[in-house]
Amino acid sequence: MNNDDTLSFDLKGIQECQQNRYPQLFVDSIVDVIPGVSARGFKNFTYNEWFFPSHFADDPNVPGHIQIECLVQTFIMTFLCMDLYRGMKTNFVSINNAYFKRKIIPGERLEIRATLDSFKRGIAKGSAESFVGEEIACSADFLITLPDVLENFKPKKK
Amino acid sequence: MTNEEKYNKAFIESFGIEKDKLNGLKYQDVISWDSIGHMQLMTVLEDEFGVELDIDDITDFSSYEEGKNILRKYDVNLNV
Repeated sequence: MNNDDTLSFDLKGIQECQQNRYPQLFVDSIVDVIPGVSARGFKNFTYNEWFFPSHFADDPNVPGHIQIECLVQTFIMTFLCMDLYRGMKTNFVSINNAYFKRKIIPGERLEIRATLDSFKRGIAKGSAESFVGEEIACSADFLITLPDVLENFKPKKK
Repeated sequence: MTNEEKYNKAFIESFGIEKDKLNGLKYQDVISWDSIGHMQLMTVLEDEFGVELDIDDITDFSSYEEGKNILRKYDVNLNV
């Protein structure tokens, strides 16, 4: 807990909250977390990332699906930071309004700003956008489930 | 709009189905009434009727008809 009641997480703390691991963990640090409301994340890209040699050999840049992972892995910290949900697995339900505005290349740092609009019965709805410096890189809206929570609310019989 | 019309609208809009499919409709009879669709329906009904459903009622809500019985417990009269 920071002095202003927001939370921050280093790589160890992030991995205590979510189950993404190398080579699928795409956020390095999380700051300014207001549980149940919002979070801000950072991802530093270097040429050592496993995907740069193949995407593309003559023009290395971050693939779109990895940009989406950067957004959503910051987004899920808005609720996985809470004790009740810490460490749970998450699933995608939908990704809407995904826009890619800027190529991200080795050496650049992505800042992700995520907002949780609603969280009820294991279903989280919200959005995230990312920036390189002041330039917007990508954005998307998400519907995410916590299957272990959702399971408790499914009809018992057909 | 009557309460029954609001109830029907919640199903029609949550699951993208026609009104003539409602009678006898059960959980998982249509692809859109899956676990995610169920939570969406519960949220729409709670917002529409100003109630907060208990977890036991959410898990017992397994059909169009059963849902009417459950809402009556919350003083939602579907005949008006």
